[in-house]
Amino acid sequence: MGIGPSTKETSLHHFRDPLLEVVAEDTDIDLMGILLVGTPDGNKEKMLVGTRAAVWAEAMRADGVIISSDGWGNSDVDYTNTCEQIGIRGIPVTGLNFSGTVAKFVVENDYLDGIVDINKSVDGTETNVVGENNMVRLDCLKAKALLKLKMRQKERQEGR
Amino acid sequence: MADEVKDLRRLVIKAFHMTEVGWGEHNDITVDGQMTVSKEMIEKLAAEEEYLEKIDIQIIKPGDHDRWTNTIMDIIPISTKVLGRIGDGITHTITGVYVMLTGVDVNGKQCHEFGSSEGNLKEQLYLNRAGTPGDDDYIISFDVTLAAGMGQERPGPTAAHRACDKFIQSYRDKLKKFKGEKCTERHEYHDIVRPGKKRVLIIKQVAGQGAMYDTHFFADEPSGVEGGRSIIDMGNMPIMVTPNEYRDGIIRSMQ
Repeated sequence: MGIGPSTKETSLHHFRDPLLEVVAEDTDIDLMGILLVGTPDGNKEKMLVGTRAAVWAEAMRADGVIISSDGWGNSDVDYTNTCEQIGIRGIPVTGLNFSGTVAKFVVENDYLDGIVDINKSVDGTETNVVGENNMVRLDCLKAKALLKLKMRQKERQEGR
Repeated sequence: MADEVKDLRRLVIKAFHMTEVGWGEHNDITVDGQMTVSKEMIEKLAAEEEYLEKIDIQIIKPGDHDRWTNTIMDIIPISTKVLGRIGDGITHTITGVYVMLTGVDVNGKQCHEFGSSEGNLKEQLYLNRAGTPGDDDYIISFDVTLAAGMGQERPGPTAAHRACDKFIQSYRDKLKKFKGEKCTERHEYHDIVRPGKKRVLIIKQVAGQGAMYDTHFFADEPSGVEGGRSIIDMGNMPIMVTPNEYRDGIIRSMQ
């Protein structure tokens, strides 16, 4: 699981993941699959695996990507890079990430405007309460709505 | 037909609800919702693992959370394949009770590195999330004591998960034989292609930094350990799974 007890996704979470259900139930979406990518320790490796994930999305001709993260802080380096790599390939990307007040992105770029903050704690901190800052269905609906908006904007820009 | 929805495969998950969980001579579950828990396995499970000193099991009744807990490493559903492989066929799962794996080493150092969740359980566990038990659920606490310092070394937490998985397997072996028609809930899931619709990919970033930050895939049983592969060993490289594989428990969170 990720770094930080309140954001960690348990095996039970993966078994009943709201993000999958929100995307899979939508008849306007052709869900291609779920790409699982790790969070290596080294910076070079972080860039490598995130870039490979973005290449997968491009090769699959994805119209859009929703990316979630288990953990915060160190793993934001992976997260922001993967968002950027997807973004520079012209693929709309939104996602879910814990920020609150303590975990604003340690690295920023131009492709993070569709990321929903899944913080639930009152003061926006890592509370060490298991499950508290997990994504819930409403977060996933927001990320999906944002993605639909971005995909439409792209279509308009391309004059389709 | 180009625009027709294409059904690739079907997964049926049948849930069996447990209404009573109590101590008994052996681990057992019955189709009418009785679960018994025994400590008979735990000495052997600890002895089989070099880095485990001790295991304790507790039954935590719904709402009875005013008690000490070591840091929570995982919360695990009890599920088993009845037909097919993970992602298709039939799975049986138990509702009403979930297994909570916790860990500490012999010197009292919690099995965690960046923040830990030990303390009073009622303050450390947020109920009713996708990944946590609900108000009315029982919890079986599987609490592991690791050898000194092994809570921060990869083989320690892996051993804890492996021992916990063997404990869960004793229930899976019985759950497998339950008559499907006796289930309390039945869910049917399809991997489908919707041609002409927006093609969306979900990317899930999971832990793989090392030590206890690890994620396993492809175990023999849903949300299992045996037969699984570590994302660290696979270089943290992206791995594609189908929606049905994902919702059938292809991931085990290792910390």
